[in-house]
Amino acid sequence: MAQPPDVRFAHSSEAELARILDFYGIRWEYEPRSFPLEWDEGGRVVESFSPDFYLPDFDLYLELTTLKQSLVTKKNRKLRRMRELYPDVRVKIFYGRDFRNLLTKYDLIPAATR
Amino acid sequence: MPAPPIREVLLTEERIQKRVRELAGEISTAYAGRDLVLVTVLKGGLYFLADLTRALDIPVTIDFMAISSYRGGKGPSGVVRLIKDLDEEITGRHVLLVEDIIDTGLTASYLMRALRARDPADLAICTLLERTARRIAEGLPIRYRGFEIPDAFVVGYGLDHRQLYRNLPYIGVLADHALRAERAASTEAG
Repeated sequence: MAQPPDVRFAHSSEAELARILDFYGIRWEYEPRSFPLEWDEGGRVVESFSPDFYLPDFDLYLELTTLKQSLVTKKNRKLRRMRELYPDVRVKIFYGRDFRNLLTKYDLIPAATR
Repeated sequence: MPAPPIREVLLTEERIQKRVRELAGEISTAYAGRDLVLVTVLKGGLYFLADLTRALDIPVTIDFMAISSYRGGKGPSGVVRLIKDLDEEITGRHVLLVEDIIDTGLTASYLMRALRARDPADLAICTLLERTARRIAEGLPIRYRGFEIPDAFVVGYGLDHRQLYRNLPYIGVLADHALRAERAASTEAG
């Protein structure tokens, strides 16, 4: 599936992963779903998690996270909560080291930070 | 010749060869009496296939494929394509895809689709190394696995870094300074 022209990625690492998936013919959707994680007393959603990609061929959500430890810690907490609330949803985090090593494998400059 | 920039030896030559013989024994038993074609992907699977097949005690056919590499912004990417296709017909035959490593699984997933389309009697994977931390393509039929390895950049026994170190008889973790130097050079060049 070619990358839809109207997709605006939040970060260059996401655009790179999309190109890699396109290269291997893996279908993807960008942030197609938001999973509510916390609600206030009125039942309004106060925290949610929107994984970066959904891969329908593997029924798998992917989240990219890179260098900032504060963001990694926050995402890890969200991921734990999401697994509690949605145990049947398969989601995987790509950490900064994972992604840098992936780019190194393809001989690309590991530029992903956020 | 300068020493390769290896931080640590992850799998010694002896350990690799012992495991390869074990895998060959399992495959010899499982595929006895079958018309088995072992397919590997150039260039990484070359050494594993060579050692594995020489340790088998059943007759087999070997064949090779090569596919284009993802180049990101460095060149025409497009989609993955076969650079070298099989010479053998595999329809109705038992096929074992012999891989050096299954990492994200994206390459193997593509190859499995390409091979499955030819309607083999059976299709499975034998990989020397498996790293599950970065797996994207789930559900691959990995029937034989040599070693699970951690998330580190490994070279040797077919695995390369910029086409170097494939010929090391062991598998080692590439030193951080080698990767840092490359990243610095890439950044300056970019």
